[in-house]
Amino acid sequence: MSGIAEEIKASVMGAEPVEVSYPEKGYHCALETSPDKLPDIVRLFDEKRFYLECLLCTDYTDYLELVYLFNTHLSPCRVKVTLKVDPQQPVAPSMSSIYASAYWYEREIHEFYGVLFTGHPNMTYLFLHNDIHDYPLRKGKVPVPPEDKERLDSFKPGEQEDTFFINLGPQHPSTHGVLRVVLKMDGEYIEQAEPVLGYLHRMHEKMAENRSYQQFLPNTGRMDYLGPMSFNLGYVLAVERLCAISVPDRAIFVRIIATELNRICSHLLWVGAYLADLGALTPFLFVFDDREQIQDVLEGITGSRLTYCYFRFGGLYNDVDDQFIAGTKAFVKRMWGRFSLYEKLVTGNVIFVNRTKGIGTITGEQARKYGVAGPVLRSAGIACDLRKVESYSAYNEMEFNIPVGEHGDALDTYKIRIAEMENSLRIIEQALAKLPGGPFMAEKVPKKLKPPRGDIYQVVETPRGELGIYIVSDESDRPLRMKWRVPSFSNLMIFPELARGMLLADAVAILGSLDLVIPEIDR
Amino acid sequence: MVNELLNMASSDAGKMVLGLIGVLVFVVVNALLLTWAERKVAGHMQRRIGPKEVGPFGLIQPIADAIKLLGKEILTPAKVDKPLYYLAPVLIFVPVLVSFIVIPFDASLQVTDINVGILVILAFSSISVLSILMAGWGSENKYSLIGAVRSVAQNIAYEIPLLLALLPVIMLANSLSLKEIVEKQEGLWFVVIQPLAFIIYFIASVAETNRTPFDLPEAESELVAGYHTEYSGMRFALFFLAEYTNIFIVSAIAATFFLGGYQGPLLPGIVWFLLKSYFLVFVIMWLRWTYPRVRFDQLLNFAWKGLIPLAFVNLIITGGLLKI
Repeated sequence: MSGIAEEIKASVMGAEPVEVSYPEKGYHCALETSPDKLPDIVRLFDEKRFYLECLLCTDYTDYLELVYLFNTHLSPCRVKVTLKVDPQQPVAPSMSSIYASAYWYEREIHEFYGVLFTGHPNMTYLFLHNDIHDYPLRKGKVPVPPEDKERLDSFKPGEQEDTFFINLGPQHPSTHGVLRVVLKMDGEYIEQAEPVLGYLHRMHEKMAENRSYQQFLPNTGRMDYLGPMSFNLGYVLAVERLCAISVPDRAIFVRIIATELNRICSHLLWVGAYLADLGALTPFLFVFDDREQIQDVLEGITGSRLTYCYFRFGGLYNDVDDQFIAGTKAFVKRMWGRFSLYEKLVTGNVIFVNRTKGIGTITGEQARKYGVAGPVLRSAGIACDLRKVESYSAYNEMEFNIPVGEHGDALDTYKIRIAEMENSLRIIEQALAKLPGGPFMAEKVPKKLKPPRGDIYQVVETPRGELGIYIVSDESDRPLRMKWRVPSFSNLMIFPELARGMLLADAVAILGSLDLVIPEIDR
Repeated sequence: MVNELLNMASSDAGKMVLGLIGVLVFVVVNALLLTWAERKVAGHMQRRIGPKEVGPFGLIQPIADAIKLLGKEILTPAKVDKPLYYLAPVLIFVPVLVSFIVIPFDASLQVTDINVGILVILAFSSISVLSILMAGWGSENKYSLIGAVRSVAQNIAYEIPLLLALLPVIMLANSLSLKEIVEKQEGLWFVVIQPLAFIIYFIASVAETNRTPFDLPEAESELVAGYHTEYSGMRFALFFLAEYTNIFIVSAIAATFFLGGYQGPLLPGIVWFLLKSYFLVFVIMWLRWTYPRVRFDQLLNFAWKGLIPLAFVNLIITGGLLKI
């Protein structure tokens, strides 16, 4: 862990990395840099096989701060590199040529903060549209200058002789929501794919800055409506860590059970929806049967069936009862018997295998460059599951495997998700066995949270992969900045590369295998 | 003398008119019944029960749907190529009606027995490709166009194995008349002698009718609704009607060629014929609700590299054995 700090010191002149306390901050090492040294540092991280976890910006009024978070997949070593930018003329060098994942993060920062990245190939709108007059995430009122408006202008496809454009979405059956992908086609072959986002953009990050920590709790479940428990969990963990609130054991174990139930629920829906994408409609109804059982169980304790808001800072909304325990046990028993059915219905189907084998193959190197997360990352053979490598709650007490793929194709992601459901069942069984008594809520959690000054980065493994929450507190009851690094966003980034040269039908199969949740991408 | 001729003509014409009315009624009733059956089959395969509210077992549901479709405003998108757009749904119905004329429902229940019956059916069914192409081209929609292009490629590819699978039966029966082919199967169905031809024919016919796993022209997860994306109301219903009627026709031909048509013990011929046909229709529905969709290149490879060579081999062997 400390190795990287020394290496940076040795190879980049004048760089002063500082080691920080991981339990408090969520990262191991911090480093402030200047625009001229940034490319060298980033290149060094690239050589050391780090991936760019997140790129974000914070407005401190006096200056803008760009934060680059680097990490390695298997042994967590998170380095925060910061770069101060002048708020009047915000300019920074683009890193998109080194890390492909910076391509979208930089566009996002440009339209929200007005930071111009020199050397970026395409500084157009990603989420917003032409009628935005002020940069939305800046603290003061900063109008978008005319030249920047011209630069931002939305994507306009230009037709050519032998190609034509086709809009996959925003209202298309296989984009599961409102994702729009503009495909440049040569017959049935895709020459270029360009995702256009923002059809469901609600600016949760801005909302977070305008309400107290408690008030923001229900928003978390609205981002990923299929895995809201993980988003709940990530958020409460981050705030608890920031305010040093300790959580009673019972609450920790109930959180694990609820989150894993939700994970199975999400993976089940993926199985159904993915097969519907491939033209088989029947499995969709079968998985809904199983989902119903989970939702009935969770409804009993949370009161809702889709966008849960169950966890509170310091514990839970309410305690679980015997009915929940019995219901969960019954579900686990039932679910163990269902895998053989899916095996027969889907896994052995020759058409399904032919449609997914060798389609959308991701290499480990690609996965690193794009910051791909979750089952898609593991399909490339990288055994990175944050529940294990960067354990939180009580996952280190649980015994489970990290299934990995061999080829990195769509079939592998299917197999991994099925295996993950089995592992989630194992975790639930263990958590149920270990479930202690006692209070479900910490005592003396203040009504109004005013965390100490500073920042924190908390990660959790959602059904789709790494969710990172970066919070900056200025000692008020509202966060100065809250950044959500969402897995679907980074997973979608790799789609244009995977889709190039493929058939239209394959594009649908690839898009499905990434398991995208659009409200999460658009936030 | 003159009077007698007139009488004959009028009786023949009368028979024809009656038959055509009968065919029209059958087409509509059959399509309504099949939409109901499809929903019931789908429902039960998907742990649901399908329509049940309108009428006993939901039997009136398709009529309610038809009324709904009839009552809809007939929309014409602004940019369509009007002649093609209007003509396509009408034209798709012509081959459907012609095919019914020569199908023997029973020993005496056939509008007219033409001695080149199967040729008539195959020749006319090729027209449906034309109307799909017209619909796709005239809609001025990229999804429709891709759907139409896929459909043409698919239909051309699968018409060949379809024909090649029927040829051995024609050789065995020594006739192109559907009625004679049925008569030749008394005692022994051709499916026993020609199992391979039957399987090839059945696969090709599923592809010909654009059903899952070969429903690429209207692959809803890729092409929204394929060639009929821009159609609504009654025009859409015509495509729908034609699809279900086509399913019945390919099943009826399979029953006629391989399963002995109206031949069978105890029950009257028409019952046997319908039983066999609807059983095959059920199998086609069964496939749809079980399998995912194949990819376009896989589909064409399967026809050109798999089915066509197999059908040829089967044809040559049959021909050789007949000569001996």
